[in-house]
Amino acid sequence: MKAISFENFSYAYPKSEVVLNKLCFEVKKGSFTAIVGPSGAGKTTLCMAAAGVVPHYFGGRSAGSVVVQGVRTMDSTMGELAKDVALVLEDYESQLVAMTVEEEVAFGLENACVDPKLISSMVQETLQLVGLAGREQQEVGGLSGGQKQRLALAGALVTKPEILILDEPASALDPEGAAELYDLLGRLNKQGMTILVVEHEIARVLPHIDQLVLLLNGSIAVADQPETALRKMNDEGLFPEAIPPLLELRFLLEKSGYRFGTWRCEADAVRELSAVLKEAEEVSQSA
Amino acid sequence: MLEIKGVSYCYQQGKPVVDNVSLTVEPGEFVAIAGRNGSGKTTLTRLIMSLIKPANGQIILNGVDTARQSPGDIARHVGYVFQNPDSQIFRDTVASETAYGPEQLGFTAQEIAASVAEALERTGLTALADAYPRNLSRGQKQRVAIASALAMKPDILILDEPTSGQDAAEKENLMRILTELNAEGKTIILVTHDMDILARFTKRAVVMASGVKVFDGTVTELFGQYANVQKWGLREPAIMNISRNLAKYGVSPDLTATAFSRQIIDMLQGGRA
Amino acid sequence: MNKLAPLTKLIFTVAVSVWAMLLTSLLGLGLLAVAQILLLAALGLLKRTYKGILSLTFFAALLVLIQYALGSNLEAAVAGGLRMIDMATVFVILLATTKMQSLTTALVSQCRVPQEYAFMFTTALRFIPDFLAESKAVREAQACRGYTGKGSIVRRFTSYLALVGPLVLRAVSRSETMALSLELRGFGAGRRSFSKDVGLRLRDYCTLAGMVAVTAGFTAGRMIYGW
Repeated sequence: MKAISFENFSYAYPKSEVVLNKLCFEVKKGSFTAIVGPSGAGKTTLCMAAAGVVPHYFGGRSAGSVVVQGVRTMDSTMGELAKDVALVLEDYESQLVAMTVEEEVAFGLENACVDPKLISSMVQETLQLVGLAGREQQEVGGLSGGQKQRLALAGALVTKPEILILDEPASALDPEGAAELYDLLGRLNKQGMTILVVEHEIARVLPHIDQLVLLLNGSIAVADQPETALRKMNDEGLFPEAIPPLLELRFLLEKSGYRFGTWRCEADAVRELSAVLKEAEEVSQSA
Repeated sequence: MLEIKGVSYCYQQGKPVVDNVSLTVEPGEFVAIAGRNGSGKTTLTRLIMSLIKPANGQIILNGVDTARQSPGDIARHVGYVFQNPDSQIFRDTVASETAYGPEQLGFTAQEIAASVAEALERTGLTALADAYPRNLSRGQKQRVAIASALAMKPDILILDEPTSGQDAAEKENLMRILTELNAEGKTIILVTHDMDILARFTKRAVVMASGVKVFDGTVTELFGQYANVQKWGLREPAIMNISRNLAKYGVSPDLTATAFSRQIIDMLQGGRA
Repeated sequence: MNKLAPLTKLIFTVAVSVWAMLLTSLLGLGLLAVAQILLLAALGLLKRTYKGILSLTFFAALLVLIQYALGSNLEAAVAGGLRMIDMATVFVILLATTKMQSLTTALVSQCRVPQEYAFMFTTALRFIPDFLAESKAVREAQACRGYTGKGSIVRRFTSYLALVGPLVLRAVSRSETMALSLELRGFGAGRRSFSKDVGLRLRDYCTLAGMVAVTAGFTAGRMIYGW
């Protein structure tokens, strides 16, 4: 079942050149897909297309269609799409609209006409989830960059969207914060949320994703399972700088004839290399 | 030469954000300052730049105590590149934007033209000299900010998380530029929590935790202390992690994939000989 | 005062303005001002607001001097100044005793003000700390490039562009993102619910009744006694 489907979708902002070129790929329901690519490749525009922001908000020219939960975005409105799709923008500061943390998280619920009696507990629950528990009365203006980024995420999560789209959600977080964020997203994904994330550091998302999409100059260069996608990037020299060291290592070893199973994180590599080294030790000992 | 002697700074009720830190940076060094968000690393660089004054201790730049100096005075020797280039860009072309610093420092028209041209050359922006800065990508804007600092001809360059939010190709490019500048004698101080960058490009690492300087040594020494790396909120680079966990097979620590793959292949093929 | 509904306080603000217009005697206008200041003191808000009140008094005095210099008689000029203090002080009371969100909720749900306009206030307030932080960041960045802000008036004025430029550009880009963000979260799509409860209670109705009585009293007072 498809949550998001891009069907030959092309788009150009008003008075501008084509940014997305005949995109054809899908995000299955329950998938955790990462979009990677150089700056200016069109990743942000892709996210906006999935939320219906283009073409509804910006106008411009488009061709083909984007289908979200079976409905073409062109035939719907942003308000309608907002019921199932939440988008967290790269400029998280400007996305925060209220004075206090509590009001900020409640905003989406109010817009959705949720019963006021339920709002308070839903807000509390979501703040707990993102690590901002107890900060309900704090002023948004006084939060640190990392806290603001988490607050923006809370605002999106509280409406329990089916599809969550995030544009560089860890940019203001340090490595610990980023790891916590992706662990949280991983858990939400296992509970059924479809997640689409734009991220520069592939290593951060690798343990969680089931699809990696490489966008180059507005076109899809690769869209596949992570291992296959990264292998193609390596073999064809497509944005190879983004290949995480873990897989760089694997590909170098494969060139010398070694074969391995799936490597999603360092532990996988350690386990398999341990086995190989142990075997070599035993072989040389018995020789 | 930059000497930081017993410097403290405190702007949160009672808790020092920088606590009795001492550090010396010799000309030509490439130093990384790492630590969690809130560890005091950025505050330390702001103290160096005299944007804030230390509550205790001294900062001595090229033999002069900076206590009475303004950021503008220090800009003649130290270029500061902020994390967000949007905070400073306001002119219509990359070239005129880069010229702002030298103009403020009182360079003559010829000096300005020459230093701008050189700065744009070093940062690979010569082709974009007439471009409108606001339309550039994040990485390009960051390079404009670096060019703007370089044009003032400082000996030392301080950069606050210059690679954050940038794609892998831009990061490589940026680090290549900094490495070249360092090779020509510029002192580089890089505040970062990107451990892969730290591992590959810098020689010396200073780690801050809760305002205190907890480590000052080579990058290899740093990653040799795994337990501390965790404690200080740093991330162990992937290759380091793998090599450390395979130590019982006689594997020695490595920081890059290329070096490590060679080591493993040698071991495996050597074993089968 | 804190326990009154925002709507009641809004009506109170209007009422006090009406009273200030109804009363003509200096004594009456003066007592109204004093009464409001005493109210602020009773609520423990004087410490927070006295600076604002003092500036208001200063401007009112300025206004009186100007009016007098321009030819009106002293009594009318002072009356004008006192009216200004009366009407401005009640706004101070309103803003000091009411949370922004409660006010906008009341405006939208009870006064039928369209959501978009009511939210303009909250979002403007929301951006003040961000704007101040940006302004500081810009000043620091330019200071590190040698900006001093010294020199002749002309030079200072032209060099100020280095501070204003990035700020304005940033502010514009922010507001664009914000507008987009509001739509993304379903704002303005029709009906909404409100977390804050702004319903009127018995004490509100009593206060409203009291205000009607006072207004009637002042009207009568003016007509009969020329207050």
